[in-house]
Amino acid sequence: MGTKAGLRRIGSYAAEQTTPPSALAQQLYRDSVSTFHEPRISCGRVKGMLLQTLVAALRAKRVLEIGMYAGFSALMMAEALPDDGELITCEIDHEKIAFGQQYFTRSPHGHKITVREGPASETIKTLQGPFDFVFLDAEKTGYLAYYEATLPLIAQGGLIAVDDVLFGSVPEPKHDRGPDMVAFNEHVRNDDRVSQVMLAVHSGLTIIRKL
Amino acid sequence: MDAIDPIKPLDDYAAAHTTPIDPLIQELIAETHAELPERAGMLSGPLVGSVLQFLIATSDAKRVLEIGMFTGASALMMAAALPDDGELITCDISARHIAFGKRYFERSPHGHKITVLEGGALENIKQLDGTFDFVFIDADKPNYTNYYDAAVPKLAPNGIIAVDNVLWSGEVLDPKEENALAITSFNEHVQNDPRTINVMLTVRDGLMLIRRKA
Repeated sequence: MGTKAGLRRIGSYAAEQTTPPSALAQQLYRDSVSTFHEPRISCGRVKGMLLQTLVAALRAKRVLEIGMYAGFSALMMAEALPDDGELITCEIDHEKIAFGQQYFTRSPHGHKITVREGPASETIKTLQGPFDFVFLDAEKTGYLAYYEATLPLIAQGGLIAVDDVLFGSVPEPKHDRGPDMVAFNEHVRNDDRVSQVMLAVHSGLTIIRKL
Repeated sequence: MDAIDPIKPLDDYAAAHTTPIDPLIQELIAETHAELPERAGMLSGPLVGSVLQFLIATSDAKRVLEIGMFTGASALMMAAALPDDGELITCDISARHIAFGKRYFERSPHGHKITVLEGGALENIKQLDGTFDFVFIDADKPNYTNYYDAAVPKLAPNGIIAVDNVLWSGEVLDPKEENALAITSFNEHVQNDPRTINVMLTVRDGLMLIRRKA
């Protein structure tokens, strides 16, 4: 079994052995793939269900997402929040926001979601903490700045989940954005304000806990 | 259990970027490799242990049940994530493994939280009162479904069951021998269980996280 083919088969098996997302979230996912033709950008079933598990385990009430894209992960996380929970998601692309909002309005959990259009770095400056959970899934060059800007807004014991930490096949970063990811990963590893665990699930997910 | 070949380089990188484990547990793992080399593959490994610690701390768990203690590495890691009045009950059938683990529990400031039950886990679980916030299943594979079915009724409403080795070195893709078939059938059982929600993580040898439906 070759490395890439093997990873794909094992990844597919893991997805098959994971509870399917809600019908609406699945539809959003499918439609986003056919609309935007960028299937790898959305975070997928396993990561979506892992985000739900973490939000539920933490009994999170306030979630911040940096990089909404088409809204799949926002909807997944909102489904795991209590009815008075709140999810603020940042996105710069008006077309993606309009797309996602069509699904939020159809969901019984959509009322928990507030979309903030514009550069996330500006939006974050206007936000009041504390947040229980942050999901970081935006352009990789901005990860370090987003991490530093959001850490003060997170409650003690709260989590930051960071997507794509194996981006560009880090250990051997050949992809042009690989070096940004490597630098970010080293930064987190050396940060004594947090503890963290990195999961080699698809493109990688680091879960960081504020001490 | 080592990572599956295609996963290994990514997992090694992931482990190197995960908060390092306690020196006492490193010593326990090293001694397990030295003293029980033919069985050291049964260790869940530091990365899975870190995930367990993370989930216990995140969910604010107070009471943990472990099915399959082996030499105690995962028990000690989970105990370290519990508050001082937390409790971990672990089951194992081997007096030798239990004696091995207990030497380390005695040296740990978290050892007082651990109670070891020797004997058949299914019988021992039946005797336990109350609910558990977190359950870790890592024992004989043919009984996985039985352990799971015994654990679900004892799971607190917000609790999590974590199950190790659900990829069984990748053999689940084409299962032939008894353990691989047992794991495959367990995975299907969980996937079809209307009581629970599950996610399978391709971490090391595969880790399934299961919670109750709200």
